[in-house]
Parts: sequence; C-alpha cells; structure tokens
Amino acid sequence: MGPIYVHIITKAINGKEYRTVVIVFEINEAEIVIKAQGGDRNAFNELVRIHAQGVLNVIFRMCGNMQLAEDAAQEAFIRAWLHLGSFRVDREASLRNWLYRIALNTATDMLRKEKRILPGQLDDFYLPDPRLSPEGVYLQSEQTALVQAAISSLPDASRAVLVLKEYGELSYREIAEALDIPIGTVMSRLNYARRLLKEKLEAQMIVLKEAEHV
Amino acid sequence: MSNHVTEWLNAYLDDELKGGRLHQVQSHLAECQECQAELKSLQSLSSLLRDGPVPEFISSERFVAQVSLRLPHKQPVLKKRSALEVGWWLIPVGLLILWVFINTSALVSRVAATANEFGLLRAAPAWLVVDSSQGASWSETLGEFGLLNGNSLEWAEFTETFTRNKLPLIIWQASIAMLYLSWIAILWARHTPPQQGQFLKS
Repeated sequence: MGPIYVHIITKAINGKEYRTVVIVFEINEAEIVIKAQGGDRNAFNELVRIHAQGVLNVIFRMCGNMQLAEDAAQEAFIRAWLHLGSFRVDREASLRNWLYRIALNTATDMLRKEKRILPGQLDDFYLPDPRLSPEGVYLQSEQTALVQAAISSLPDASRAVLVLKEYGELSYREIAEALDIPIGTVMSRLNYARRLLKEKLEAQMIVLKEAEHV
Repeated sequence: MSNHVTEWLNAYLDDELKGGRLHQVQSHLAECQECQAELKSLQSLSSLLRDGPVPEFISSERFVAQVSLRLPHKQPVLKKRSALEVGWWLIPVGLLILWVFINTSALVSRVAATANEFGLLRAAPAWLVVDSSQGASWSETLGEFGLLNGNSLEWAEFTETFTRNKLPLIIWQASIAMLYLSWIAILWARHTPPQQGQFLKS
C-alpha cells in the first residue's frame, strides 16, 4: 500500500457546515503484482478486485452476453494467474492492458467454442435511467440491444479495437500494445469498425443525432 | 473542397493527432462542411456507444470470491531465463572477445616477426612468427620465369603480400562488425517483446 492522502471537503447545507473526510489510499500496483507473482493469492485477489469491472465490461461489449462475459472474465483471470510470471513489472506496459489482452483473447476463444452471440434480453442486465418514462425505458432498451447487436456483428479484430477504445478507454498506443499490432493498424481497424457500425445503425433507423458537445 | 481529411477524423476525434497533421485537419475542418458533418456523425456515434445505460455486472466482491474458488493451487512460477535468451545476450560478448583475440593475435604476431627480423627471437615457435618472406611466393616464381618484371612484378608482389597477410584480417573484422550490427538491428526490431496470450491478428 502506498501513501495515504486525506481530503477534507466542507459543504454548507441550510446554514449548517458539514465536513466530509475522504481518505485516499494510493495503491502501488507493481508491489501487489510482485507479491502475486510470488504466489500470494490475497495479492492476486486484490488485483482481481481492482480490474474486475473493467475486464467484465470489455468482455461483455465483445460478446454481448452477460453470462458468457462472467465466465470468460473468470477464465481470463485464471489465465492471468497462471501466466503472471511472464508479466514484466519493470516494463512500462500496464497490467490493465495486459489483462485486457488476455480478456479479449479469452472472449474470442469462448465465442468460437460456444458459437453464440446472444444480444437478446439485454434489458435484464441494464440499469434503466430512473428519469425515463416506461415508454422511454422500453425505447432505450431497444436501442441498447440494437447497438450491442451491431457491435457483436463486427469482425473480431475490428471489434476488439473498438471495444478497447470506446469502453476500455485506451489510447491508440495502449491498444497497439495490448493487441500487439502497429498504431497504423489500430487506426485503420477503428475507422473500419466505426464506418461499419454507422452503416448498420443507420440501417436500423437509429438516427445519429448531433452530439451535444459539438 | 478537395483533399478531405476523412481518414484522420477518427484520430482527431480521439485526440490522437499532433503537430502538422492536427493543424491540417483543423484548417480543413474550418472550411469544409462535408468533413464537419462527418465529424459530427462520428461524435454522435461515440456518444451513442458511451452514454448508453451501464450494464449491471456482478459485484467486484462476489466476482473475486468466484475467481478465488476456481484459482488453481499451483503458484505462478517466475519465468526463468531460457538458455536461448542467455545465448542471445552472449552473442555480442562473444563477438567482442573474438575481435579482441584476432587483433591481439595479429599484434603479437607482428611484434614476434619484427623481433625475429632483428634476431631477437631465435627460439620462437614457427606458428608465432608470420613469415613475410613467404608472402609473395607466387609472384616471385612468375618473376623467375620472366613472366613478370619491373613495376608489374613489384605490384604483383605487393598485391599478393597484401592478400595473404592483411586481407584475411580485414575480412574477419568486417564479418564481426556485420554480425554485431545485425545483432543490434534484431535487438531494435524486438524492442517490444511479445506478451502472454494469443493475438487478435487478422
């Protein structure tokens, strides 16, 4: 565990002053990785805790099925545990990128094995926006399902780049590192994936409105 | 407007452009409505993907517990350096040692030959002393038969001596230098070593 920072946030509500104390633990991931490489299961569990949601999200966007995503994410972390010795802590590569790479490969393997992409019934897994009316919730879930179906229909290689960019929030350099491909290939695959996605969504009558922040 | 910047719009949207290319795209966008519309469409697509509802994943705590149950008891073993890898790093060391050995041998041999000429090394072993008198034996033979004479004989003797005594050393050194440079080139090409797992290449 690294240094600890304490922030005191003061807010005045209805004339009364409230203070919130926020304690921030700066996690030294490299130290945890080294411990896990030495066989410390608790340290590895800590790494799983840190990266679970990110890995789940990337795999889910890759395969479009919640159950498959959970299975693949578990499998990915087990593979990571078994091969953690080959991860070089001294290199600049981040563990997140390394895990995303394993996660994507595991998802692709499982999809090929299972041969199922089941984007249906996605609404069971999404938290609806509480501000929306029942009709709005229905329309939103329909749109979400169509978007996920469009993503799932992309070729594996382009889908992986799109998912890492849009949902993994990786830079082009990080994507190139995670997938072991040149940055030029990242750009061309991303261009291709977005163009294909636009065509598919426009064909599904999803109007791409002007972004609000333009 | 010609020379559209469509192929760079994704990188521009993702804030991945720098320097001259960024300036080029910005200047073009200021004037081209077609590219502006394309950029807006890409921004909308990105918003549609990112601003959608968040899936309700299993909690991290529960997920950790599930992974922990399935985790094999085998401890990950730190990958030891393979013999191949050690051999790879020994290549430049070996080349340098070879270079030093060849140059030292040549130097010792020359010193021994000089000492021999001055009669200082009467009992020196034959292998240590380069017999420069044997350096141009073919040219001398041709001279004896009258096939070479004057300047042509001198030139032939010089060439033969050079070919016999100096050329092998030059070829050795050039070969070592080439191998060393090749090793550096391969090292540079392997700058980003592959990581674990299969690769999504297609």
